[in-house]
Amino acid sequence: MTDLLQLLFAGLSQGAIYALIAIGFVAIFAVSGVINLAQGEFAALAGLVAISARASGLPLPVAVVVAVATVAVVAVVMERLTIAPVKAMTTLVSLILTLGVSTALKALMLLVYGPNAEGLEAITPGIVTVAGVSIRYQDLWILLVAAVVSAAVYWFYDRTVTGKALRACAEQPVAARLVGISLGRASLISFLIAGIVGALAGVLSSPVYFTSWESGLALGLKGFVAATLGGLVSIRGAVLGGFVLGVLETLTAGYVSTGLRDAVAFLLLIVVLVVRPGGIFGRHAEARV
Amino acid sequence: MSLQVQGLHAGYGRLEVLHGVDLEVGTGELVAVIGANGAGKTTLLRALSGLLKVRDGTVLVNGTDVTGKGPEKLAASGLAHVPENRLVFPTLTVADNLLLGAYTRRRRPSAERDADRERALALFPRLADRLGQAAGTLSGGEQQMLAVARGLMARPTVLMLDEPSVGLAPRLVGEIFTALGVLRDDGLTLVLIEQNARAALAIADRGYVMDRGRVVFTGVPSELLGDARVQATYLGGDFSPAGGAGDGEPRPAGGSVAMEGG
Repeated sequence: MTDLLQLLFAGLSQGAIYALIAIGFVAIFAVSGVINLAQGEFAALAGLVAISARASGLPLPVAVVVAVATVAVVAVVMERLTIAPVKAMTTLVSLILTLGVSTALKALMLLVYGPNAEGLEAITPGIVTVAGVSIRYQDLWILLVAAVVSAAVYWFYDRTVTGKALRACAEQPVAARLVGISLGRASLISFLIAGIVGALAGVLSSPVYFTSWESGLALGLKGFVAATLGGLVSIRGAVLGGFVLGVLETLTAGYVSTGLRDAVAFLLLIVVLVVRPGGIFGRHAEARV
Repeated sequence: MSLQVQGLHAGYGRLEVLHGVDLEVGTGELVAVIGANGAGKTTLLRALSGLLKVRDGTVLVNGTDVTGKGPEKLAASGLAHVPENRLVFPTLTVADNLLLGAYTRRRRPSAERDADRERALALFPRLADRLGQAAGTLSGGEQQMLAVARGLMARPTVLMLDEPSVGLAPRLVGEIFTALGVLRDDGLTLVLIEQNARAALAIADRGYVMDRGRVVFTGVPSELLGDARVQATYLGGDFSPAGGAGDGEPRPAGGSVAMEGG
């Protein structure tokens, strides 16, 4: 029982990271049909920037702000340089473009930060034991921040005019333009959101999972699977997908084999795409028009 | 003059659809643009609202040249386009659809937008009961009402409607056209694109007849209804599927027999 609780908790913490990355995929895909393969690199870059900022003597909170701001700028510049100029964007074209950006970012990170994996220092170091389950304080921070950020993003899309305008672009791009909403600006905002949530995932996970120039690959893939589990157009679905994936992964690693851990995501993805193409939580009519 | 169009050319790829269209809409006028499927009516509206690039010609709104601007800019300069097939935002509520209709005026005081919303709802009372409902769950007629109301929320100089009668029961067409008449009587300038020529001309001040990308006839409704050439153009004309109006072909109003007599 203690083992199960321990695994569940670890799974939730891991899942919270996937959820944040998944929100980034959904934010962009829902607005423009772009699948951003550089989403994982946003996380890795944020981790590395925070580590080096911390190493240069900045206090941790400042280092985190610098990292998130840097990645937000990178995301916006990426959108302007590689997405905005393309007149007839399709999902397939976006895969190739963002794969290019992902590769370039990885090369740049390797060049600037070297090949070693490092961990950012934890917000609160140490472990607390509750009912036999040992919990890192950092895991609590991860869950807290993921919950607050998910709620804030959800509120943004559900309550603000700008959020509703982004949803309008996703649902009826022609009508959105006719009421005066700029699709270009919507795409830019979606990348900004994706950059911020990706960066937060990166700085939160770094103390636990470490960060290197290539850690974005796994994070990006898992986040993508989580987003797809949720139907790829739903913030709520993405968050739930992240947690489901995180928990299943740790349970598999704990009870079956650690070697199978990374296979879980893709097995799950195949099953869901075959059985429920709209995502496990998706009403299938909710797909993008 | 609210809207002046001179020598408008537009098309898709290598295909030119509009070969120099001239159109004038006076302030407070309701102008109907009729013609067979494929005549270029929808293309004209798409070019006017900036969805389609204007290749040649000029478009003036209230005397200001807006030629070549994108739809986002044109929406802000007073052209509201209620698109074919309604295109409401399906998962957003009726209230949010109206809110986004006023997107170009989102920085205006909310009291002003609330007043506009009240006016739009007074025109279509059944929307008032459905403000919290997702727009995708409305009936076709209600979605058309919402699309018109959303267009009104921009406080347009000219409200342009593309085939608002398509696929609707005659009673609903009547309701919507009555509302358009009320708007005209309130002083709004309207351009109504319709295949249901008889219904459109019944409320219009003037009409334009289009055929194969040109305006072939213009006049007051009684002239148009009485003219043999006009009847040939929109009743006997080319009903090729290329025009894109899709399903829900409206019946040629009343049948051709009733149109004889000019």
